[in-house]
Amino acid sequence: MPLAYTLPSNLSPATVANTSSLLRIVALALISGAAIASRLFAVVNFESIIHEFDPWFNYRATKVLAEKGFYEFWNWFDHTAWYPLGRVVGGTIYPGLMATSGVIYNVLHALHLPVDIRNICVLLAPGFSALTAWSTYMFTKEMKDESAGLLAAVFIGIAPGYISRSVAGSYDNEAIAIFLLMYTFYCWIKALKTGSVLYGTLTALFYFYMVAAWGGYAFITNMIPLHALTLILMGRFSSRLYTAYSSWYAIGTLASMQVPFVGFQPVRTSEHMAALGVFGLLQIVAFAELVRAHVSSKQFQSILFGSVIVIGLLGVFAFAGLTYKGWIAPWTGRFYSLWDTGYAKKYIPIIASVSEHQPTAWPSFFMDLQFLIFIFPAGVVLCFRELRDEHVFVIIYAVVASYFAGVMVRLMLTLTPVVCVAAAIAFSSLLDTYIDPVEPEVPVASTEAETPARDSPANVAPGSATTSKKAKKAAAADASSSGLASGVLAALSPSGKSAKPRGIFGLDSRALVIANALGMLLFFVLHCTYVTSTAYSSPSVVLASQNPDGSQHIIDDFREAYYWLRQNTPQDAVVMSWWDYGYQIAGMADRPTLVDNNTWNNTHIATVGKAMSSPEEVAYPILRKHDVDYVLIIFGGLIGYSGDDINKFLWMVRIAQGVWPEEIQEPNYFTAKGEYRVDDQAAPAMKNSLMYKMSYYRFAELYGGNQAVDRVRGQQVPKTGPTLDYLDEAFTSENWIVRIYQVKKEDPLGRDLKTANSFDQGKKRKKSKPLSRRKAVV
Amino acid sequence: MPATKNAPTAKTAGSSQSPILSLWNAYYDNTSTRLKTIDAFLVFLMLSGIIQFLYCILVTNFPFNAFLAGFASCVGQFVLAASLRAQVNPANRKEFKEVSPERAFAEFALGSIVLHFFVYNFLG
Amino acid sequence: MRFLRQLLLPVLALASLALARSSTGDSVLILLDPSLKKEDFSVFFGDLEKKGYQLTFRSPKDATPEIIKDDVAQFAHVVVFAPNTKSFAADVTPQSLVSLLSKNTNLLLALSPKQTPLSSLASEFSLILPPPGTPLVSHFPKRDTPPTVIPVDVPATHDIISPNLPPVWFSGVPQALGNNPMLVPILKAPPQAFASDADSDKGADALVEAAEKSGEGLWAGSSLSLVTGFQALSNARATWLGGVELFSDDFINKEISKGVKSGNRQFASDVAAWTFQESHVLRIDSVEHHRVNETLPRETYTINDRVTYTTYISKYNPELDLWEPYSGIKDMQLEFTMLDPHIRTSLPPIAGEPGKYSVTFRVPDRHGVFKFVNDYKRKGWTYLTSSTVVPVVPPRHDEYPRFLSAAWPYYAGAFSTSAAFVLFVTLWLAGDDREPKKSKGAKAE
Repeated sequence: MPLAYTLPSNLSPATVANTSSLLRIVALALISGAAIASRLFAVVNFESIIHEFDPWFNYRATKVLAEKGFYEFWNWFDHTAWYPLGRVVGGTIYPGLMATSGVIYNVLHALHLPVDIRNICVLLAPGFSALTAWSTYMFTKEMKDESAGLLAAVFIGIAPGYISRSVAGSYDNEAIAIFLLMYTFYCWIKALKTGSVLYGTLTALFYFYMVAAWGGYAFITNMIPLHALTLILMGRFSSRLYTAYSSWYAIGTLASMQVPFVGFQPVRTSEHMAALGVFGLLQIVAFAELVRAHVSSKQFQSILFGSVIVIGLLGVFAFAGLTYKGWIAPWTGRFYSLWDTGYAKKYIPIIASVSEHQPTAWPSFFMDLQFLIFIFPAGVVLCFRELRDEHVFVIIYAVVASYFAGVMVRLMLTLTPVVCVAAAIAFSSLLDTYIDPVEPEVPVASTEAETPARDSPANVAPGSATTSKKAKKAAAADASSSGLASGVLAALSPSGKSAKPRGIFGLDSRALVIANALGMLLFFVLHCTYVTSTAYSSPSVVLASQNPDGSQHIIDDFREAYYWLRQNTPQDAVVMSWWDYGYQIAGMADRPTLVDNNTWNNTHIATVGKAMSSPEEVAYPILRKHDVDYVLIIFGGLIGYSGDDINKFLWMVRIAQGVWPEEIQEPNYFTAKGEYRVDDQAAPAMKNSLMYKMSYYRFAELYGGNQAVDRVRGQQVPKTGPTLDYLDEAFTSENWIVRIYQVKKEDPLGRDLKTANSFDQGKKRKKSKPLSRRKAVV
Repeated sequence: MPATKNAPTAKTAGSSQSPILSLWNAYYDNTSTRLKTIDAFLVFLMLSGIIQFLYCILVTNFPFNAFLAGFASCVGQFVLAASLRAQVNPANRKEFKEVSPERAFAEFALGSIVLHFFVYNFLG
Repeated sequence: MRFLRQLLLPVLALASLALARSSTGDSVLILLDPSLKKEDFSVFFGDLEKKGYQLTFRSPKDATPEIIKDDVAQFAHVVVFAPNTKSFAADVTPQSLVSLLSKNTNLLLALSPKQTPLSSLASEFSLILPPPGTPLVSHFPKRDTPPTVIPVDVPATHDIISPNLPPVWFSGVPQALGNNPMLVPILKAPPQAFASDADSDKGADALVEAAEKSGEGLWAGSSLSLVTGFQALSNARATWLGGVELFSDDFINKEISKGVKSGNRQFASDVAAWTFQESHVLRIDSVEHHRVNETLPRETYTINDRVTYTTYISKYNPELDLWEPYSGIKDMQLEFTMLDPHIRTSLPPIAGEPGKYSVTFRVPDRHGVFKFVNDYKRKGWTYLTSSTVVPVVPPRHDEYPRFLSAAWPYYAGAFSTSAAFVLFVTLWLAGDDREPKKSKGAKAE
């Protein structure tokens, strides 16, 4: 058997096995290190701080959990949120994340390690990303082999698509959910392969954890039934499938109903019905199989056909009837928006207004996954070549996740793991083929083109070479395993591959392809590092800009304003702002808010939208009714911060219009030409709106008589700015990003505040007339 | 256990046509006692589940969680036992290469304990 | 606490009995027009001093004493008798007078037919004055005084004024009232009276002309007010007099008919008493709320709790300078509000416990941040407002009924399953010894 290069021949198989497993462990440890380290850019560049919006709530909830214990947390009624409605926090959150941090916190304190709860929260996501890498390794190992697993672990460890949601400080449900997702899938594959109830139970337990941690659990709820159904339709029903699925569904569903927020949904909503239906189907099929085992096929047919058809029809009718009667909730709006991208904008603007619910732009696929997205299809094709049960799973997962990722930016996150897995399978096959030292005996015209699928991947003995930093060690481990005399090699590959008809000749072609592949890996690492450090590590609470000399300038307006609120207003002062900032105000300023990122009550949000988009005198009664003391807005016009409230303003108008179509109309906020302007030609409704007035109040004064320019809109703001009668400016942050206004109390003389204000400014009042009761008789 | 022997007819009761009869005979002849024990267990669970379901539909479903817990305990125990049956069935030996009957039973017990834990947690 | 305070109050009150009369203080600043003499009002001022007020006089154009110093009001009450002053000192502006009200200083302001800064201030109080130079004129009843000096009947029963006073002499401008609910009309014009040019009565033409032009109603009749009280949200009071002569010695001593003295003296005293917050002054001493069968308030209440709300109200007694428990309010209401009142119930006085008002009700089946709102506003009386915030929370997870009789089949089902499971496991393990042979045998077949 010809070899392309010589292999050491003095190694015993035991040594090879031991070394390779040691190297695997080392490689996994290094991968974990890299995964954690690359997520620490946020801490290094800025500080150890909670990021964005939702994490602030999670952080606050975790603090409650850590301080008061789990029972108080479960019963927590947050009366400062959604003032005055309040929020039953215990019943409206997925507590998995907080519970995880709470457990870690308590364990560390039991070990006398007084770690601050904030640091646990900040570092939870990086920590779990290491576990994700490990579970992806396990998952991919089931698909192909250890080397593919290691590659997948590297990919998931540093893929920006996952890093974007799991940098240090990004304390959100997704931080632990992706680990749980991958591990649940791994358990499921394992359960399916072995038919073991133990793994089925494990799947159910991790599914339970997943349900407790993330609303995206519905993805698992539908992926596993889809896989099972596909297998049944492919004629691959087996008792293993029955065992795995039944044990998962029976325990998992019951377990998922323990989470208060989920409650009875698994038996009440359409999203969960697929799992139930497949469960029922499996019972029928299994029973049919059992009957078949006992009777001859002719009798069997007559029974089976009759019963299966009858039961199937009954099931469909029951489902339709129950939906009709309202027992099973029909699909929710969020679900529809997955199929019709225009649906949300039309019917639920509040969902459409979230930027991460927008359809994904093409460049972001490349940005988040780089070269993985190109070899991802190759990996899927490779799965088709072998098509074991678990490969069917990857294929379904790939198709479904690709679609969803295209619909919503946010769901890029669920696509990333399968891309990493498939890409790892493809890449590992490529390396296997080109590193394999065995040359084919029969010289056939083999091409240099990348045909990694020529060999049956599972049978290829691992070769030796150096790949990326981490894969190098893994591969090296395998190299030594195959670094044996041909006898060992033959022993390792039982299918008698020594006489394989196809392969690669010579070292040059191998070197060329492998160098190319290495280059790709290298660029991937560079790309990931670059993207992570620049794009995904900003806490968004603290902004960074460049000084003219290139040094970093920190813009800390948000915290400045929130701390102002915290220190200068009474504890129970109600702050109104657009819902984006609700969690931050609650978390940093510790003041009651009207609406926050939970967005559970559309009417309440629309009320805020209406107050913001109405003239002062209309808004004032709304503010008084809700006991609003302060109004907080974000204004980026001075330094060019584009995520400000004027840019979000149209969403406020739209959401308000959804509830009060007579009073608020979106077209009124555009100029006659249909432009969205803030300058002299701005529409009257726009100019009179509270939001506009608060944003540009005294803005022109800042320019001392020069033309004031809004740097976000690039428009010139009128020199005489708007006046405010019902609000007082209370605070404006250094760069004017956050402006806080105080709502005036009612006039002691019972006048409307506009009149009172003009009186205070010494303006002459128009002489009033008595009410005309009778006509003068001349 | 006379109940055991009679019970499986419940699945296909109401008819004594020849396919059913031959099915019953085939079952009776070819099944080991062990599997029959499981089958008896299964039938009991099924009856219990049906009774609860009927009670829920006909009388009240008010403590819905209690119904779900009770019903799910029956269904869950049923599928676990059915899985056990599949695993220890000698005919399926080749399908479950990694699961010996002893291991299957241990796993069954474990799964059931987890199930019952959730049931009791959900019941009240 | 309360008990102690009740004990202490009379002691304190006795100590200051000679001095204080008003509930807010007894320093009075009087801005007196140079054209008016202190002696012309000796009865009124004398009465005030007798009550214990300390009067400080100042000409409107003098710079001192300041009415507001360092944003603190220097006097408890300010009287402006300046019907002819066109320009005041810098610190007396309409704005500063209004700001006095929010500093809980009471005002007594006299208007005149002339256009002064006060005339424009009047419109801020929803008073509408006739054109300048048109005082109230009445030719009835026939009398020997000029038509601008009018005897006005005092309402026999009025909250503020002593009952059954003889008519008072009035001379000045009437005010039409806007629809501001804070206005408290004290004295209405006689039905036959109207505003007109005082000298010739011919100004009526001008008036009609103006009425024609702007579609105004006539300045006539009993809808016009002559003395109007105003109680601001801060509970400070301002009273507008149509003419300063109403309080003058002249009018006080003038006989209304043979042998009957006019009611001006008592009227002036009553108006001053109301204005300076001697009479009709209430306050909420304390507010309590707790669950039925408990005594201490809870931080939060659970839905459907039965809650008792109690408030203690006192009334100021000017004679003793003392706050006395007051049970005279029959129409007070309590609202339990979240955005809108979910519960609105009467808050009746408790018999036998003076000053205590209490009601017990069931918290609605709705969680959220609720407020106990007591908002009692009656004309002439101090506004009583109190708002207490309490979150109403859903039951804790262990407060729901746990085991229900309706569910026993389910409990039985769950327990029987567990029992069957145990039985099954026992059978299985017990059968282990002999079973393998059979199953092996079966396998062999």
